Amino acid sequence: MPQVAITGLGFVTSIGNEQVTVLDNLRELRHGIDYFPDFAGADSPVKLAGTVKDFSVNSCDPEDWTYPDAYRVRREVLRGLAPHGLFAYCAMQQAIEDAGLSEEEVSNLDTGIFTASAGSAKMLHSHLERMNRHGVNRCSPLGIVNSIVGTLTFNLASAYHIKGASAGFVSACASSGHALGYAWDEITLGRQKRMFVVGGEDGNRESILPFAGMRALSQCKDPEIASRPFDKDRDGFVGTGGSVVMVLEDEELARKRGATIYARMVGWGQASDGYNVAISHPDGDGLANAMRRAAACAKVSLKDINYINAHAPSTPIGDLSEIRALKQTFNGDRPAISSTKALTGHGLSLASIMEAAFTVLGLRHNFMPGSAHIMSLDPEATGLRIIKETEDKGPALAMSNSSGFGGANVSLIFQHI
Amino acid sequence: MADSTVKNLTPEEEELIKDSLKRCSPESIEAALSYRRTGNTDLIPVVILGIIERFLEPDIRPRLKNGADELRIFEDLGVDSLTLVEVIMLVEETLDISIDNNELRDLRTVGDVKIFIDCKLKGLPLPEKALHIPIEEIYQDLPHGPPFLFLQDATLRQSEARGTYRIAGDEFFLEGHFKGNPVFPASIMLEALGQLAVLYLVKTKSESLPKQVDKDKVFFSSCDGIRCTRFCKPGDKLTLSIKPKRIRHPLASFEGHIMAGTEKVAFAEEISLIFDFCGEAESVAQEGPGSAG
Repeated sequence: MPQVAITGLGFVTSIGNEQVTVLDNLRELRHGIDYFPDFAGADSPVKLAGTVKDFSVNSCDPEDWTYPDAYRVRREVLRGLAPHGLFAYCAMQQAIEDAGLSEEEVSNLDTGIFTASAGSAKMLHSHLERMNRHGVNRCSPLGIVNSIVGTLTFNLASAYHIKGASAGFVSACASSGHALGYAWDEITLGRQKRMFVVGGEDGNRESILPFAGMRALSQCKDPEIASRPFDKDRDGFVGTGGSVVMVLEDEELARKRGATIYARMVGWGQASDGYNVAISHPDGDGLANAMRRAAACAKVSLKDINYINAHAPSTPIGDLSEIRALKQTFNGDRPAISSTKALTGHGLSLASIMEAAFTVLGLRHNFMPGSAHIMSLDPEATGLRIIKETEDKGPALAMSNSSGFGGANVSLIFQHI
Repeated sequence: MADSTVKNLTPEEEELIKDSLKRCSPESIEAALSYRRTGNTDLIPVVILGIIERFLEPDIRPRLKNGADELRIFEDLGVDSLTLVEVIMLVEETLDISIDNNELRDLRTVGDVKIFIDCKLKGLPLPEKALHIPIEEIYQDLPHGPPFLFLQDATLRQSEARGTYRIAGDEFFLEGHFKGNPVFPASIMLEALGQLAVLYLVKTKSESLPKQVDKDKVFFSSCDGIRCTRFCKPGDKLTLSIKPKRIRHPLASFEGHIMAGTEKVAFAEEISLIFDFCGEAESVAQEGPGSAG
């Protein structure tokens, strides 16, 4: 069975738009959370978000957008993009350069793309408003492809001339974990030699604030502590957007072409809570099963896992569920645990791949990022080794967890090379 | 039609038009406002060109500067069908007209778009639809065949015929024209224009062509004022066009142009053919010698 190597990464995130910045902020625990102009209105009790810097994508007309000079997006591509489509287009360019892939290596039958995003509520809303106001024939011709779920797949597959598999995954906050898992399957099953996996979210008023309806968002006004997973006083998540791209490759092929290998993805597992549409299982049963299955798939023992990048979004219920899942799974073993959502905020469909990429950076550069902003640890977490500071010792085996609505749970395992 | 659009624009309407056209040239914005105020249809081409230009990639825009009417929207300007919808939608918005999807199908050149919108606004009947003739049909309709057929597809209207020929490189005469340096002969370019003119005569029904022209009774008669301005080599795609100047049985004369992409290749002031209708006496062959086409 082919081994799966990670050979390229691309980042547009609240803690940096290129790998060196992300690496630095991750290690030093510098967060990317700030007051968000989109939330400034008196109608919103939520004020903070993990903000993407150096991009201005607030208009519903992509030709109004501004973005860093390093990228040049032709109008015919730009017009089909949602805000997170632009983030992903740029992250994809980084990942291709980082992996050292030629145009031919990107565009061939053996190279595919899996994406995860929730679509763009903002763009969709604007199109429907235009349709209702000006008539059906005045809908923007690109209104569908730049807004509906799948927008990332359509746009990136065409813009980068992808010829292999292309599909999108939708399981809310576990989406990009599923995309990674099934991409791993594609390569280990021998169907594809190389997969781009992409997660993206707009991270704007329309994609984040509706979560206030279920009281899932933090109303804290202090960016320094608003996102504080595992803290006993956590009061909800801080939303964020951006895009992360990861290149997965058949390891033999990667070695043959002399690629730099960040880490190996050795397996994944998933299981569902079968419990509630929006509330995670009180004992974290689904996530516990996902972690066990991931270990079985990777043929590793759970006690050999050294680090876990937790899903822990900083919501009272979500973190507690994961604490209990970790306790029942790692019964006595003490892997280091942190939630990097303290730094970035919660990226929803983007979250899983963003955190998998952070985990991969830790494997490559030998560190485990701390779980920031914990002032007093949730007493329920006593017994777990939640690390508050970054540890300069790389894991040999690391796990990254994600949970989504409906009780979808994904656990991914990566190995140091 | 034009009269119904003449009115004083409210400041809001004016702002809306300006906003819709915000990425168009200042001249085209001014022309659109002026048209909406006065109904002066002379301003339409400026608006249309401004709107088309706005949707082009910056590196393509200079192509619109001269001879824009001949440019093919898809092939020469890199515009796809979705962008054409964007163009039409912005035209609808700013000129206050509505256009049916089915009406868009036959718009192939910038000139087609301009004429089409001009007719809509003036309430004139739309120009006749172009007749597209694929290679299989050309093969049936012309007396010519490989290796001496120099048309790969054609579009016919009363006013003109257009065709294309891509120089493959394996044409038999390129081996000697020239040795080790294949250049498409000017005489063959003239032949290609002639073949397009034969196709026009065989496929067109009009006042001057009331009966079916017999494809086996069309012959070359004369040509005049031929100017060639560019070498053509394997890989070049020639765009041929002929316009009828005078057709009176048994003589027909045409003006001809050849382009390669946006570059001019050849011009023929006059190409004359002699023809006869089906079932007529064998007068033509005696009158006008010369090779077919």
